[in-house]
Formats: sequence, structure tokens, C-alpha cells
Amino acid sequence: MPIHEKSLIRPENLITNDSLVIDGVDVSGHWSTFIKSRTITDYNEAMEDEIAALPGGENIHRCWQCGSCTNACTVNAVNPDFNPRYWIYLIRQGLEEELLRDKDIIWQCVSCNKCTYACPRDVLPEGVMKATAHWLELKGHTPKSPSTHFDEGFTESILATGKIEEGRVLRTFFQRTGQPLNQPWLVALVGGLVKRFPLGYLIRMGWSTVFRPRTSNWRRTGRAIEEYVSERRAEQAKALGLDTKGGH
Amino acid sequence: MRDKPILIVGGGPAGLSAAHAVAASGRKAVLVDKADRLGGAPILQGYAKLVPSHEWAKDAIGGMVDRVRQNPNVTVRTGTEVQSFAGNPGDFVATLKDGTRVNAEAAILATGFTHFDSLNKPEWGFGTYPDVVTTVQVEQMISSGQGIRCPSDGRVPDRVAILLCVGSRDRQIGREWCSKICCTVSANIAMEIRELSPKTNVYIYYMDIRTFGLYEGEYYWKSQEEARVKYIKARIAEVTSDGKRLVVKGEDTLVKRPITIPFDMVVHAIGMDPNVDNMTLSAVFGVGLNRYGYVDKASTYAGLAQTSRPGVYVCGAATGPETIDDSIAQGQAAAVAAMTLAGVGLAQAAE
Ligand SMILES: Cc1cc2nc3c(=O)[nH]c(=O)nc-3n(C[C@H](O)[C@H](O)[C@H](O)COP(=O)(O)OP(=O)(O)OC[C@H]3O[C@@H](n4cnc5c(N)ncnc54)[C@H](O)[C@@H]3O)c2cc1C
Ligand code: SF4
Ligand code: SF4
Ligand code: SF4
Repeated sequence: MPIHEKSLIRPENLITNDSLVIDGVDVSGHWSTFIKSRTITDYNEAMEDEIAALPGGENIHRCWQCGSCTNACTVNAVNPDFNPRYWIYLIRQGLEEELLRDKDIIWQCVSCNKCTYACPRDVLPEGVMKATAHWLELKGHTPKSPSTHFDEGFTESILATGKIEEGRVLRTFFQRTGQPLNQPWLVALVGGLVKRFPLGYLIRMGWSTVFRPRTSNWRRTGRAIEEYVSERRAEQAKALGLDTKGGH
Repeated sequence: MRDKPILIVGGGPAGLSAAHAVAASGRKAVLVDKADRLGGAPILQGYAKLVPSHEWAKDAIGGMVDRVRQNPNVTVRTGTEVQSFAGNPGDFVATLKDGTRVNAEAAILATGFTHFDSLNKPEWGFGTYPDVVTTVQVEQMISSGQGIRCPSDGRVPDRVAILLCVGSRDRQIGREWCSKICCTVSANIAMEIRELSPKTNVYIYYMDIRTFGLYEGEYYWKSQEEARVKYIKARIAEVTSDGKRLVVKGEDTLVKRPITIPFDMVVHAIGMDPNVDNMTLSAVFGVGLNRYGYVDKASTYAGLAQTSRPGVYVCGAATGPETIDDSIAQGQAAAVAAMTLAGVGLAQAAE
């Protein structure tokens, strides 16, 4: 049965012949509009396993396409194109090209986990969304998202000193996401701090920006964590068939 | 000569069939049921026309009840349960709650299932809106002759939605089984609704359709081709109300669009839970349960209706979701096993 759902027709698949005569009938222009068929010519058979290898994607193989995640989804209620059920189908069938059409909205999952509690098969769709966004970045289909930049800056700060240095994390985040530091709200915040904080406190803050304090004996712990993190990353890169040195 | 009776617990299709088979073989049976009547779910819950015979439950299963009632080889004890059970194959003693003692050669558990309680899926509106009902209630509307009417005001519904797999196939509520018969029963009910009330449109919301074997043509195809029942691939998110009618919300997965459709009546195709008594039955009879909570049954290849206890056999929906026809066949198999004490030597040899 042909599908006449307009939203499913892509403009690039519409063909109109300026002059065409079929069996003596002139069907030029608008009368000869055809829709090119969207034939699927191959499956990316590695795709499901790759996404399952990333944290959160482990249960993707359980999905039976019931739609409970999508109809529970916070983001879907605002944007019907945000459709976890559909993406899971594309990934499981290896329809990469179709998935990539939505690459710029997949990261929008707000991790509300409503899907998690609706799914009858315990697929954990929220985790799958995370793994998929991650996969898109690792494969270079999307640039690093602001949240990835934040996570990286945050992790680096902890690995370096065993502490979360808020000022540094914030600065790194703004820098990497290409945002200016002199954001009005930040300027107001710092101005307020300077005005209200006792002098000794401000000196200590300035001091620790230059001489970064560390958690005592952090070196060994930090190294062990770093080793663990890089092992996991190497595993993931391998599962995705990526060059181990290049990935993040 | 073995002359002690076979104790049969549960007088539904499975137990009735076992009792009939035992009696027809010239042996004696004692049939115990905790309900005050025989017949099991089809009679106690008032089912309408059965799959696949299209016979009324009260005629078909009622006939099985009469046959057993009239057989002098069967002693029927209703309104009671087995309180204790001791002894060995060929020489068991059961004590009933009413104080009766029964010496038995062997025992057959035909204790069936418990209907899923839809209150456990509150998002689908049962218990909140009177016009959200279960397949059991629709069976009763049909079998009582009252017809298809909205419980809230008695009107004939313009549009009915049947939601499949309510209480089955759902990890959220720990039910990892398919109840096997509800797809076919729903197709059957849908056709009956269309027949009783041709102006009522019926929609079935499904994830998979499991009208297995010969039920495919007779129910799934026929319901579409003749009764014009519509099938929509979607698992419903919630059933609410706009004050006048029910509103069914979900995603139509085939067109990838959210749906918000008004209905007059919503029917839950409820599943077959393990009997709520199974923990007690397991303790009293010393039989194991499987990981879903049904009575565990030995491999069909090697055994005949065997439980984990030699001399105690099981049949029908006590072992997992079963159809009436299969429950009846299993009842006969269990009767043969009990009369011959099948597998007892085997089990002893294995010990
Ligand atoms: C809505 C609905 C419609 C259905 N329609 C059909 C259909 O059309 N066709 C079909 O093939 N199947 C149908 N089924 C399935 C059908 O109900 C079962 O296959 C059948 O009832 C199983 O028979 P049974 O004897 O094993 O168990 P049951 O019918 O459950 O009988 C068990 C009996 O054991 C008794 N009992 C329980 N516990 C104890 C205890 N502790 N001590 C003593 N007695 C006890 C009960 O009182 C009951 O009488 C339907 C199911 C549902 C939910
Ligand atoms: S966690 Fe993400 S995918 Fe799941 S319901 Fe929330 S926004 Fe939707
Ligand atoms: S709710 Fe679970 S099983 Fe259903 S479509 Fe979503 S992920 Fe798949
Ligand atoms: S028989 Fe059909 S409705 Fe019943 S649990 Fe199985 S799939 Fe669901």
C-alpha cells in the first residue's frame, strides 16, 4: 500500500517532468509528479552492537517497538520528531542514513526517565538515548555537545587535583563551547561575591586559582582512576572500530 | 488391585476432564473445589461463547460438569480445600478443611489461574473510570444477555477499544509471559460486539497478534475481513477522560504519530496470573513452583504431567497460561499418569 502521509515525503524525492506524454496523454508539469521510492539498500550490521557497547545502550536488543517510551516522553510531547522508539528501530535494523537525519535532535533527551518506567521490556530507553548521542559524537557525526564539553572539563579537574574547582570548570566550559566569559549574569555574580566576601576569603580564592590545591595523596588515586577511564574509553573505541588515539 | 481413589483438586476444565477420564476407566475420583460450584473460570466468571467451538460456556463446560456430577465413580466436594497432604505414592492421606479425610492413590492439581487485577496498571484507567472494563466483564455482558453497554449510563458505545496484553508481557510488573489466549479471545469478543451492535466500531491496540495455529483464519482474519475490526499497532500510554468520553493516548507506531482518540468503552484484555493460592498449594502438597509462580512440571518428553513430588500430578492453567482445549487434554494425560503412578519408579530411581 502506498503511503500518502505528506510528512513522510521528502522534497528531494519529488520528481516533476516539465513535459511528458504517456500513452498520448499530456501529463506535463504538476500532473506528472512522482515520488521516488525510498529503497533501503543495505543494513549497517555493526550499529546495534556499537551502541550496545556504550554505557546505557546495553539493553537495546530487547526492544519490541511498542511505542511506550515515545508516548511517555517529555521531549516528544513538544517535538513529535523526537522519537526514541523509532530511533531504536533504526539502530537495531542498522538504518544509519535514516538515523543521521535526526542527529541534531537526539541529544535533546532531558533524562527525565519517564520512558524507563513505561518500557515493558526494561530497555532503559533513556540510557539508549545517551549512548546514541555519545555514538554520534564518537563517530564524528555531531560535534561534541555542550554537555560533553562540561563532562570533560569536570573530569579533567577531578583527575588533576581530586577536587571540583568550580571556577575552572566554568571557565573551561565557556571556553570550549565558544562562549564569552563576560556573561552579564556571571559578571554580576562575581561582582557580588567581591563586594560581600571577607578579604581573607577572597585572597584564599585567588591563591588557589594560581596554586591549585589537591586532595592529599591524590596522585595514586588519580592515576588509578585515570587508568580505569582510559581503559573503558579504549574498549569503547575498539567496539566502535575507532582509532584508539583519536577518540576522546 | 488399586482401589483407592484419585484426589483431584480443582474442578475447572482440566480437573473435570481428569475426573471424567478416571471415572471412565472404572476407577474412583474425589474432586475438591474451593468454589461452591464446579466449572472453573468459564463458569464461575460467566464466559460467553468459547474459542474455538463458538459454544456457550454454560453449555460446553456446563456439560462437562453434569457428566462428572452424574458419574457415580466421582465424589464431588465443593466449598472446601485440602488442608494437609501426607504419605507416599499409592497411599496418600489428605485432610480437607471441612474435616473429611481422603485416602488417595495419587493426586492431581488442576487448580488453574487467577485473573490479572487491572488495578495494577492504573495508567489504563480501570477502577478510575466505570467505562474501562475487562474482557471478563464483556464476557458477562454478552452471556447475561444484557448486551454491550457502557456501565456509566447504559448507553450502547459508538466506539470500543480493546487493549491487549494487560498484565502480560510486562517487566514493569514482573510478568514475563504471554497469556496465550487473550489475542484470540479479544478477536472473538470484537466480532461478538460487532454482531450484537453493528454500529459499534471496535479497535484493537496490539504489539503482536498471537492468534496461533488455526485461530489465525478463524479469528484474526475473520475479524478483519468480515467484522471489520480495526487493528492498530500501539501500546497505549494512558486512558483519561474529557468529562464525557474516555480518551486513549499513545503512539501509532506505524505512522509515527501521537494519537489522542475518544472512546466510549475501553476493554482490558487481562492475562492469566499464577493462582494466588500457589504458595499455599506448594507448601501443602510439597510441589515446586517455576520461576513465574506456576506449578512446575517435568519435561514433557520424559514425564507425564509430573510435579516435583512423586505421585502428585498437574494439568491445565495451574502450569502456566493454557487454553481450555489444552487444559482438557492435559487433564486426561494427568488421569492416565495418576492411575498408573507414572514416573514414580523413575523419580525413586533418580533419588
Ligand atoms: C476472559 C477470558 C476468556 C477466556 N476464554 C477462553 C476461550 O474462549 N477458550 C479457551 O480455550 N480458553 C479461554 N480462556 C482460558 C481459560 O479460562 C482457561 O484455559 C481455563 O479456565 C483453564 O482451566 P483450568 O481447569 O486449568 O483452570 P480454572 O478454570 O482456573 O479452574 C481452576 C479451578 O480450581 C479451583 N481452585 C483454585 N484454587 C484452589 C484451591 N486452592 N483448592 C481447591 N480448588 C481450587 C477453582 O475454584 C477453579 O474451579 C479464557 C480466559 C480468560 C481470562
Ligand atoms: S529520558 Fe529522554 S527519551 Fe526518556 S522520556 Fe525523558 S526525554 Fe524522553
Ligand atoms: S517502551 Fe521499551 S520496548 Fe517499547 S518501544 Fe520503547 S524501548 Fe522499545
Ligand atoms: S495472547 Fe495476545 S493479548 Fe494475550 S498476552 Fe499474548 S500477545 Fe498479549
